Amino acid sequence: MSTEVKEYALPPEVLEETVKASEELWKPIKKVKFRIYKYNPKRDYAPHWEEYELEVSKGMTILDALLEIKGEKDHTLGMRYSCRMGLCGSCAMMINGKQMLACQTRVIEAAGDGDVIELRPLENFPVTRDLATDFSAFFEKHKTVKPWIIRDEEELDNPTGPYKQTIEEYARYYQFTDCIKCGACLSACPTAATDYEYLGPQALAQAYRYLVDSRDDGLDERIAVVDVAHGCWRCHFAGSCSDVCPRGVDPAQGIQLLKGLIIRRKFGFRPHKPTEALPAKIAKKKEQ
Amino acid sequence: MRESTVMFLHYITAILIAVTGLIHLLANNEPTIGPLIKENPVIYLGNMAIFLAALLYHAFNGVRVILIELVPDPCWTKWISWAVVIIGIVTYVVGLQVLLVALGLV
Repeated sequence: MSTEVKEYALPPEVLEETVKASEELWKPIKKVKFRIYKYNPKRDYAPHWEEYELEVSKGMTILDALLEIKGEKDHTLGMRYSCRMGLCGSCAMMINGKQMLACQTRVIEAAGDGDVIELRPLENFPVTRDLATDFSAFFEKHKTVKPWIIRDEEELDNPTGPYKQTIEEYARYYQFTDCIKCGACLSACPTAATDYEYLGPQALAQAYRYLVDSRDDGLDERIAVVDVAHGCWRCHFAGSCSDVCPRGVDPAQGIQLLKGLIIRRKFGFRPHKPTEALPAKIAKKKEQ
Repeated sequence: MRESTVMFLHYITAILIAVTGLIHLLANNEPTIGPLIKENPVIYLGNMAIFLAALLYHAFNGVRVILIELVPDPCWTKWISWAVVIIGIVTYVVGLQVLLVALGLV
C-alpha cells in the first residue's frame, strides 16, 4: 500500500492575513515601566525596587518582558519559570498586587490605562531571590495530607478488579485535580499571613479531593491530619484563594465541604463505601 | 478534644446564645410572657445559666482562635487553649455567683 504525502499550504489570502495579524500582535505599541522587587537575602540588608522601561507589544506577556529584562538589562534578576503556558505554576508572582501567573498575563492588560507594572514575589512565602520564593514548606504541607489514593497494601499487590467510577463520582472531585500547585491561593490567604502552621487552601482542597474519591480508603488517616488546631477549621472563608486561582479551582469551597464532611462523620456518615470501587470484592463479600 | 468537636460546639453555642438571649429579652421586656418566665426561678435561672455558659464558650473560643492564629507555635497553641479553659471556668463560676446574688437566691 502506498502512502501519498500531501503538501498542505495555506491559501495566499489566509496566509497574508495570518502574517498581518502576527505582525500586529508583536509590533511595539507602548512604553511600560516595570517596577521590580529586588532582594537577595544572602547579600542585601533590605529589599529595594529597580525600574526598567520596555517597549511592549499587544501579545507580550509579563514573562516575556521579564526574560527581555533579564537578557538585555539586568542579568542578576532572579525568577522562576518553566512551561510558559500556565501548566506548571512556576511563574506565579504578585502582578500589580494580585497573585497571577506571569506567563498568562499580558503586559497591556496588566498595565491597563497606566504605564507602570509592579512585580513582587508571592506573599506568605520566604523570598529566595528577587521574584523567586521558597516552596519547601508549601510542598511539605501538600505531602502531609497524603495526596494519593490510599488502598490496602495486600490489594495493591494482588488486585481483584479494575477501579471503576461513575460520572457523578468523578464530578465530586474533578475541579480539584486542576490544581497546578502555583501557590497563589496560599499567598492570598489572610490566615496564612499570620499562621505559618496553617495547612493552607491548596493542601486542604487536595485532602478533600482524595477523601471524596470513591477509590480511596484513607478517610481516618487523612482526617487525623486536617482536623487539628491549624487545619481546616482555621479557614474563615474569605474566599481570596478562589479569587486568585489561575486554573479556576475553588479551594474555599473544598475547605467548606471538607468541614461538612468531618462534622457528618461524627454522626456516622462516610463519603463513600470503602469497597464500592471494586466489584470483585463486593461479590466476594456477598458470597460470604 | 478534636478541633472539629470544639468548632461544632462553637456553632451550637451561637444558636444557643440567640435562643436563650431571646428568652432573656422576652422575660424582661414582654408584658404577657415576661412575668411568667421571671416568676419561675428554675426557668429564668436555667436560661441565664445556659446563656452565660454559651456566651463564655463562644467568646473565649473566639479569643483562642485569634490567639493561635497570631501565635502559631504548637507549644503556645497548647498553653493558649489551657489558659482560655481555666479563665473561662473561673469567669463562669463568678458569673453564676453574681446571677444568684442578683436573683436573691444566695
